[in-house]
Amino acid sequence: MNVKKILIPVLAFVFLFGLSSMALAKTIKVGGIMDTTGATSDVGKDYAIGMAEAFHYINDMGGINGKKIKYIWFDYGYRIPEALTKYKLLKRMGVLAIMGWGTGDTEALSPTVNKDKMPYVSASYSAHLTRPVDWVGRDGKKHGGTGYNLFFSSDYSTNARSCLTAWFDKKWPKHPDYGKRKPRLACSYMFPSPYASAPIAAIKDHAKLLGFDVGPDQDVSLFALDTKSQIMALQKFKPDVIWHGNTTMSVSATIRDCYALGLRADHIVNNWGYDENLPRLAGAAMNAADALLVMGATPIKFFGQPSDNMDNVVEYAKKYNPGIPASKRLNRTPQAWGDALAVWEAMKRADKAGDLTGPGIMKKGFETMRNFHIGLGAGDLTYTPTDHRATTGCLVQEYKNGKFQEVEFVDLKARWPKQWASEWHGW
Amino acid sequence: MSRVWLPCGDYHQRYAEDQGWWQTNVIKGKMILLLLIVFVVFPLVLDEYWIGVANMVGYTILGALGVQLLIGYAGLITLGHAAFIAVGAYTSTLLILKFPWPQLILDWGLAFPISILVAAIVAGLWSVLFGLPSARVKGFYLILTTMAAQFITVDFILTQYVSKIGGRGQAFSLPPGTIKIGPWVIDTDLKVYFVMITLLALTVMIMANLLRSRVGRAWIAIRDNDIAAETLGINIIWYKLLNFFVAGFIGGIAGAFWVSNCAALSPEHFSWFLSLWLVGVILIGGAGIEGAIFGSIFMVVVMELLQMVAIPLSEYWPKIMFSFAFVKEMAFGLAICAFLIYEPRGLSYRWWQVKNYFNLWPFSY
Repeated sequence: MNVKKILIPVLAFVFLFGLSSMALAKTIKVGGIMDTTGATSDVGKDYAIGMAEAFHYINDMGGINGKKIKYIWFDYGYRIPEALTKYKLLKRMGVLAIMGWGTGDTEALSPTVNKDKMPYVSASYSAHLTRPVDWVGRDGKKHGGTGYNLFFSSDYSTNARSCLTAWFDKKWPKHPDYGKRKPRLACSYMFPSPYASAPIAAIKDHAKLLGFDVGPDQDVSLFALDTKSQIMALQKFKPDVIWHGNTTMSVSATIRDCYALGLRADHIVNNWGYDENLPRLAGAAMNAADALLVMGATPIKFFGQPSDNMDNVVEYAKKYNPGIPASKRLNRTPQAWGDALAVWEAMKRADKAGDLTGPGIMKKGFETMRNFHIGLGAGDLTYTPTDHRATTGCLVQEYKNGKFQEVEFVDLKARWPKQWASEWHGW
Repeated sequence: MSRVWLPCGDYHQRYAEDQGWWQTNVIKGKMILLLLIVFVVFPLVLDEYWIGVANMVGYTILGALGVQLLIGYAGLITLGHAAFIAVGAYTSTLLILKFPWPQLILDWGLAFPISILVAAIVAGLWSVLFGLPSARVKGFYLILTTMAAQFITVDFILTQYVSKIGGRGQAFSLPPGTIKIGPWVIDTDLKVYFVMITLLALTVMIMANLLRSRVGRAWIAIRDNDIAAETLGINIIWYKLLNFFVAGFIGGIAGAFWVSNCAALSPEHFSWFLSLWLVGVILIGGAGIEGAIFGSIFMVVVMELLQMVAIPLSEYWPKIMFSFAFVKEMAFGLAICAFLIYEPRGLSYRWWQVKNYFNLWPFSY
């Protein structure tokens, strides 16, 4: 039998059917641009799976005031040109909002989504995405507003300030040298990475505010498996705490090498380096009797950690992806839920106001939220027309006795209201 | 021999005719029709999404033409061409955002057009720098030196130093209205398309002319046998460096165009994968300028069509989007393997066969 004779009509049918179904569908569409195969797929896959599960939940809960959401997502493999074509395809399909992924797609699409007035809710938490109107930075540079970029989480700078504050409040007073000298801080991150370097200015500023001595930054690749030279470079400075801006793989390598080389510093980690895999990869450095103290920013709780709404996250993970055991799921799933729940609420509000459009979702949805509770251990969400910082602080956790435990929720706005209002916004 | 097979009964009588640009009235008609299609019909018929895809095809062609010039015409294998595209993109962006242009230039909307030209020249010169080792090494060793271009330019210079000028983390963002050509602000996909198609038409024309000149013949001679070429009196170092310059120049144009398409810039846009991807494009496309064009169309459009097949199927098989993601990754590798095995001369050869069949029809030999 000639395979071509069968295959060509089948493909033609599928293709035409696809185009017609795209044209005829009447559901509310939300798009997704994810990375399940590219450079950030180690965390991106769990996030993408979690996002799809969250939209199943939303539909089961009645969708947008009774209207179902059709969630259409694509993998772009962290290739920026592909993110652009995927965005245009989603726009053509009539999506009302897009769930984005990382720094790559978010930064590349930022001018476009703001021009198109397309809400782009992503997992890139850079502080400069929180200013919806044009502004002038501390250095006098003009910055364009990013009114249609959003996320549910605290931004990276808030994460870092919160972690540093929690360590300073809770851990430094227990140090033998407390009161005798200033605490010492060093930063370990990949200098060229837009993600990793995003909060550096804020960290240095906060260290100055709290009275730290800041040592030399260490350039650690996101793909590093061996960081001994960087650790040896730090041994002379003897930091009390090291901030990590990278993702889990290289953070675990750095913590392992600190332990192996006897650098007894504490560690604070940005959210993308702090997940269930970290203690597994760090091994004895986090699990032995003399393990190092590792704290981290957790804008949302870990998968299965007790909190309201977490039962739904676990249930839907089991229901839609039974092949992936709970022990293999990461906090990236609740993170995806955080963004999805925020979009859900914004769309419901916009729909009630009779303006379910991009600008409607933004102005009558997101920007009407005041202390909206999504659960999952996330801070309550507030967006205003001039401030898209969703929360005023971040939950800090530590790994102790084989599990993650809360240290404290640091509310930066409550503690430094003046700086929060006028100085720290956007960097 | 003529570059094209003429229809039955048409013969050339002079060498000039043999190398003519449009050799017969039929060819002239076909070319005019093609220009009409890309300049008039496509903008009228295609919707915003397909115009966006066309822009991506154009960007890929501009990138691949430089690679084709290096690999296809001079035998200088490169795996670092994304670096030269990046240099073009950053030069253009810095000129638009930071250069103190006289008000007259800004008023007349000339900053972006001038930046394209400067970006191309800077990228060309940068390319020559990394082409210098080609005077001493070739083959596998040259590949490694071109890879050095990628790592030194993108991973070191651009990411460590240049991109920090952007003031927004590591990224540049071009505010709306900054990219202008004359009175036109390039702010829609359609306008970007016209920029792309104009740049592409000019680049193809210049490259095609260059290839049928003494310079082009020298490059081909070096590709076929560099020792024999040197024996014939060709200064192979000069011509190799010239080849690097022109390839970088075209890469610079691609980079400057990318700025108009994206309005944002970060080193992540020019990963090493882009260099590899462009080599894949010409492997699939085959020889010549048309090889770069066909390869780019195949790589961009086919991937988009595959995606379209997956969308309706996801209604019934939701996990296809996860499964398809890996299939898509695999498709790139498989396509290269399949072409190398079954169609080593690429899509352009198949096109050449089809074209000649109709040129000779109905009286083929």
